[in-house]
Amino acid sequence: MSILRRPTLLFLIVLLLVPAAAADRLTVVSWGGAYVKSQMLGFILPFEEETGITVDVLEYTGGIDEVRSQVRAWNVRWDVVDMELFDAHRACRDNLLVTFDHDTLPPAPDGTPAREDFLEGSLLRCGIGNVVAATVVAYDHERIERAPQRIEDFFDVQGFPGRRGLRRSPKVNLEWALIADGVPREDVYRVLDTDEGVDRAFRVLNGVKPWVDWWRSGEEAIRLLETGRVSMTSVFNGRVFDAVQRGETFSILWDHQVWFMDVWVIPRNGRRQELAAEFVRFATTTDSLARQMRYIPYGPVRRSSLEQIDPEIRRQLPTAEENMVAAIEGDAEWWAANLDRLTERFERWLERPVMVPRDRPN
Amino acid sequence: MIMASGMHCGLGMAGLALLLLAPFPAKAEANEIARLQQQLEALQQRLEILERRLAAQDSGPARTPELTEPRFETELLGEAVIGAERLEEARATAVPEPSPIRIGGALRFNHFFREDVRDSRTRRGDSGFDLFRLNVDGEIRDIILSAEYRFTPDMDVIRAGWLGYRFADDSVVKIGIHRTPFGLLPFASHNYWDGVPFYAGFSDNHDLGIAYERSDGAWETQLAFYKNEELGSAGTLARYAPDVVRQGDQQNEEINRFNARVAYTLGQDTGCEHEFGLSGQRADLFNATTNSRGSHWAASGHLDSRCGRWNLQLQGARYVYDPDNPPGVSNDSVRLGAFGTSFDLAAKGKLAVVNLAYNFELSDSWFDQVVCYNNYSRLIKDVGGGRDSELNTVGCSVGAGPLYAYLDLIFARNMLFFGEGSMAGGDDDRWRSRFNINLGYYW
Repeated sequence: MSILRRPTLLFLIVLLLVPAAAADRLTVVSWGGAYVKSQMLGFILPFEEETGITVDVLEYTGGIDEVRSQVRAWNVRWDVVDMELFDAHRACRDNLLVTFDHDTLPPAPDGTPAREDFLEGSLLRCGIGNVVAATVVAYDHERIERAPQRIEDFFDVQGFPGRRGLRRSPKVNLEWALIADGVPREDVYRVLDTDEGVDRAFRVLNGVKPWVDWWRSGEEAIRLLETGRVSMTSVFNGRVFDAVQRGETFSILWDHQVWFMDVWVIPRNGRRQELAAEFVRFATTTDSLARQMRYIPYGPVRRSSLEQIDPEIRRQLPTAEENMVAAIEGDAEWWAANLDRLTERFERWLERPVMVPRDRPN
Repeated sequence: MIMASGMHCGLGMAGLALLLLAPFPAKAEANEIARLQQQLEALQQRLEILERRLAAQDSGPARTPELTEPRFETELLGEAVIGAERLEEARATAVPEPSPIRIGGALRFNHFFREDVRDSRTRRGDSGFDLFRLNVDGEIRDIILSAEYRFTPDMDVIRAGWLGYRFADDSVVKIGIHRTPFGLLPFASHNYWDGVPFYAGFSDNHDLGIAYERSDGAWETQLAFYKNEELGSAGTLARYAPDVVRQGDQQNEEINRFNARVAYTLGQDTGCEHEFGLSGQRADLFNATTNSRGSHWAASGHLDSRCGRWNLQLQGARYVYDPDNPPGVSNDSVRLGAFGTSFDLAAKGKLAVVNLAYNFELSDSWFDQVVCYNNYSRLIKDVGGGRDSELNTVGCSVGAGPLYAYLDLIFARNMLFFGEGSMAGGDDDRWRSRFNINLGYYW
């Protein structure tokens, strides 16, 4: 103890002399493009103005490897991270994130406690939801012969002729296939949890497979619609909003939209955790989220934020009440556990043509 | 730790602290110091936050700004991309571009049981090496390359070798040895043994020439010209598919051939496509003995219907070889050569094909593909008499990863390679059979 006392004292003296520069900066890691811009305008600049703290915004492309390496090295440079829910579950499971006390979140302006104001599932043990995006079916109402009314119509190529666009991923496709086969939305993941359920979903997909153009990016999906290659396609709702802004005559079928969200997380072992938590609290206030939604067509996780948005815009958001009636909450935790296995099967299934192949080994 | 913290202003003091601490040993102490430093920083942060909250309370009740029109840009931003999409795109861009040139090939073995051959019956069939082949395919910018060379127990032979150019409208011109556009493409069968049109030289036949191919929506057009057979040596029997060859008293060879094929697909890009097609070819038959030219023509109509998991193929063709043989050489047949041997074909005849296949639905199984089929084909000889030549193959092809197998039960009547069967005359009226398993590794 006596050995420690002298250096400790000296160190404390030194620290008292060190300016509080570290506390004046916060590193927030998010995604690029219009999305981060909406965050800048929605709450990052206001946060800086209100607190005097400079927020350094870094871009990344997802995943938890960097967070893992920083946390394990006790060298955490990322104070707050905007993470996909899927990754947040994995990072939380691997004990890489701090846990949140949801009672510290500010209430809605009318006093509604945060726990009631936030959408169900958006308050995680290790993260706070921020925005909601959805995969929906879109179609060109000027071109389509008969507009789909429910998700089953997407799989009915006889009643609703034309090619279809689907994302090259098992996500959402399997959920919709089961819905089209009569599974109630609340049972979808329970059914998918069995081999028979997965077989059942693939059988439904078999029915539309010859009519499907597979896309990888939302841009491709929109192009399929723009060029008339498909009569309807799955697509991220934000892409449709953009296309409509450009003058396209696209409409969204909100029935059984599958919604996912991004969440704010704070890596463990960081040195500015309190400040980081303060930032997250600010970024998820009713006003902050409502302000961000002026710039991006995604849904805020707070109900009170939705009320502050222009009704015309609100109707186009995944979290609008009428759009949530038959919505499916994408089970990120389930996908975190099953995505690799099902992607392998999905890719193999894709390679198996439905039609007799024209060519053959010879 | 201090360096890593990025506290630029405090670097000097931190360095001083390190110097002061330097005489004291110990990693444990360093950890203790780091922990204390963190605690201090956290305390400092809490203090500042509390100060700000107090200041905010003093200045009024609203902690967050009122929702007013933003001071910043007011226009809607560009493309909106959320996590699920961003991640997928990042993964997609991480996939490396495939090489423009691909090297492929196959190694195959055959097991067969010939019901009409006593030795084969006694031995319960025979097995052996079938083929080793190498393929080079690729496209660099708009130049296309495709080549295939085959090594078999009977011969080493080029099957294809051509260069192509892809135009802006996606049409392609090919120069070299390639498949001639006639009838059902690419094959008039689903099985390993193939059908009568192949042995008559009207299916999967490769020659040396130039071809132009284009697609206009549901329409597909092919025009081609072939100077002669692919090897430039009409006496060579080691060739992949039958051509008219100069052997014995038959000294004909096919030259200056024009091909045209047009097909229309009804229901294109739906789950039920029906291709209707017409093909025609016209050539000269050069006779080396008489140094004169005879003629040849053939025409075909076909339907290739793929509806759901079913495939129905129908083809009817008519052909005429009109050689200018010297006196004493029959004009009723022409001599074809392939697989290292030669055989005769009725100079005039009709071909008929009826194929039906079904692609089985497979759930999470080992197999990637199971297609079962019945392929029937017939040659109706218009000259020289003789019974029609018929082939009927029932079987399945099974794919699992790089392995692909054909399991065929082949029935033949008066058909080449079965008993005394012949495609020129012949009167073998017995149905003969052969069970054939071909197992290949393809890469």
